[in-house]
Amino acid sequence: MRHKILAFILVCLVVARRLDFASPGLAATIAWIVVGAFACVVGALVLARILVRVPRWVGVCLCALVLILGAKSVPHRQESKLNLYIWSAYLAPDTLPEFEKRHGVKVSFDTYDSNEAILAKLQAGNVDYDLVVPSDYMVEILIRENLLAELDKGALKNLKNIDPAFLDKPYDPGNRYSVPYFWGTTGFGYRKDKVPGVIDSWKVLWDPKYRDRITMLDDMRENFSAALHSLGYSSNTTSTAEIQQAKELLMKQKPLLKSYNSGNFHEMLLSGDAWLVQGFNGQVAKAMKENPNIGYCLPKEGCTISFDNLCIPRNAPHRELALLFMDYVMEAEVAAKLVNACYYSTPNRECVPQVSAHIRENSAIFPARENLAHTELIHDVGRAVEAYDAAWTEIKSR
Amino acid sequence: MARRSDILLPACWVSVLAFLYLPIGILILFSFNRSKLTASWEGFTFDWYLALAHNGPLLSSLWNSLVVAAATTAIATLLGTMAAYAIDRGLNRRQEQLVDAIIHLPIIIPEIVIAASLVIFFGLIGLRLSVVTIVLAHVAFSISYVILTVRSRLAGMEPALEEAAMDLGADEWTTFRTVTLPHILPGIVSSGLMVFTLSIDDYVITSFVAGVGSTTLPLSIYSMVKQGVTPEINAVSSLLLVGTLLMAGVAQRLSHTLEE
Repeated sequence: MRHKILAFILVCLVVARRLDFASPGLAATIAWIVVGAFACVVGALVLARILVRVPRWVGVCLCALVLILGAKSVPHRQESKLNLYIWSAYLAPDTLPEFEKRHGVKVSFDTYDSNEAILAKLQAGNVDYDLVVPSDYMVEILIRENLLAELDKGALKNLKNIDPAFLDKPYDPGNRYSVPYFWGTTGFGYRKDKVPGVIDSWKVLWDPKYRDRITMLDDMRENFSAALHSLGYSSNTTSTAEIQQAKELLMKQKPLLKSYNSGNFHEMLLSGDAWLVQGFNGQVAKAMKENPNIGYCLPKEGCTISFDNLCIPRNAPHRELALLFMDYVMEAEVAAKLVNACYYSTPNRECVPQVSAHIRENSAIFPARENLAHTELIHDVGRAVEAYDAAWTEIKSR
Repeated sequence: MARRSDILLPACWVSVLAFLYLPIGILILFSFNRSKLTASWEGFTFDWYLALAHNGPLLSSLWNSLVVAAATTAIATLLGTMAAYAIDRGLNRRQEQLVDAIIHLPIIIPEIVIAASLVIFFGLIGLRLSVVTIVLAHVAFSISYVILTVRSRLAGMEPALEEAAMDLGADEWTTFRTVTLPHILPGIVSSGLMVFTLSIDDYVITSFVAGVGSTTLPLSIYSMVKQGVTPEINAVSSLLLVGTLLMAGVAQRLSHTLEE
């Protein structure tokens, strides 16, 4: 008996390996449908028979329901299917349908909530994403971990549409593995009606006049970046003395703060609960659309800039299709639609004339080029991160 | 003294109820808010529910969640009931203690550890991450609840009942079907319900084992919250809440009628 069970389990494992869910194939799909439907019917019948008090028609309904569920959940495998793994709200309504129509393929996409999710999935190695959209520092990590495929530049004819100012960044020199999709800055949003005067510096976030009307992001590196920049240092400094000075500055600011807020600072700006909020340009831009009294400042001392990039994982099953999609979203018309729908800054210079006028004039999404001169990417600071951690813990616990 | 407790006791349970249900009430209220902001009330509207009906990605993640929860419930209750029966009837005392400890483990082990070990395991046997792996993971962590609930029903059962049925000529299968099963059915139904709710709102484990085309509702909501909480999220949460409540009500009535 025991041998039979063991043999049965072994056979099951072998069959499961053969019918590997990723390997498409009509035979496997049909086998799954047949086996699944049979199991469903038998299961439902037995269940209906067992539930003695339940009338027969309930059993029949249950049976039908299970069958429908079973049939629907059988994965429909198609040879030409692109699997996207992308941030939420990063596509325009017709981006995918248009691509599907043009190339006669199917696109499915999943969303994630952090860069670390991409790393975890790709490191696990048994997932079939063809295109992922990591931020700058994560691109660096993925390259280091050897998880990305090198791009065939010959297939990317629309790469010429990308502004060279946004290419060849230190996280991926020569863009061998990534092309920028959207970029963003971390400045601060403010209420023009409550905060008068020329707003062009981080200093206003330290003004006691606005006590309890200021919020900062709940993010260690962004806080230090604001403090370090307003002291005239780099946001990637490894000097303990400079980190110490920044810490003191942030300590001085803390009594003025309403809260550390990374989630709905733009809503606090709109409701008037806060007048000065450190935040990402995309969210502030959305608030600016709702209320013209809201402005966005890229401080003259400098601030951080970040890029989200299209990359192809090393083990992507549909690499050609992924390249096609990459090239497709770099088309001027497609890129313009993305900006119109998502409200983020685009690295695509050819699409700008097709972007809606009110977005083009939004200084948070399309800042003047000279204001970007002092922006800085956040890098890994190595061992110095311990000094940052200690200082940040001290600030938060005070 | 008596009078003081007359006031204090109701005040006590009212505040406990308020603490439990006020946030949920506010969430439902704001799903009808005309304003896009969650900060201020600007009038009544059904717009967010309409917007929900056109939000393809969110709906498909809701569908994924329902499929996963239904499959998990079916598999976990079936296997769990079988295991509970086997443990109750087939093991001696020492074996039972050992098995008991093993069954409690998945409930005690931190979720994140289960999640990480499952990912490594799936990687090792070469199973691609998809809806199937989510179901497997959910069954793995929820089966213990079924075993525990059903076992407690089995333990409270009079052995003489089954013996009487056998004496009257019923074979083992008929005895199980007509005597044992009706007795443990309330336990099966209530544990099935618990599995369904555990499965539908699981985030930690699901986020690890989800693969292509298998974003579930919690994953989808987490990724949307990155851009701030919208009334659309309130609306979908309210619908989920009402759905779960309805199901709980039906299951409770069903298990009552079964018990009678």
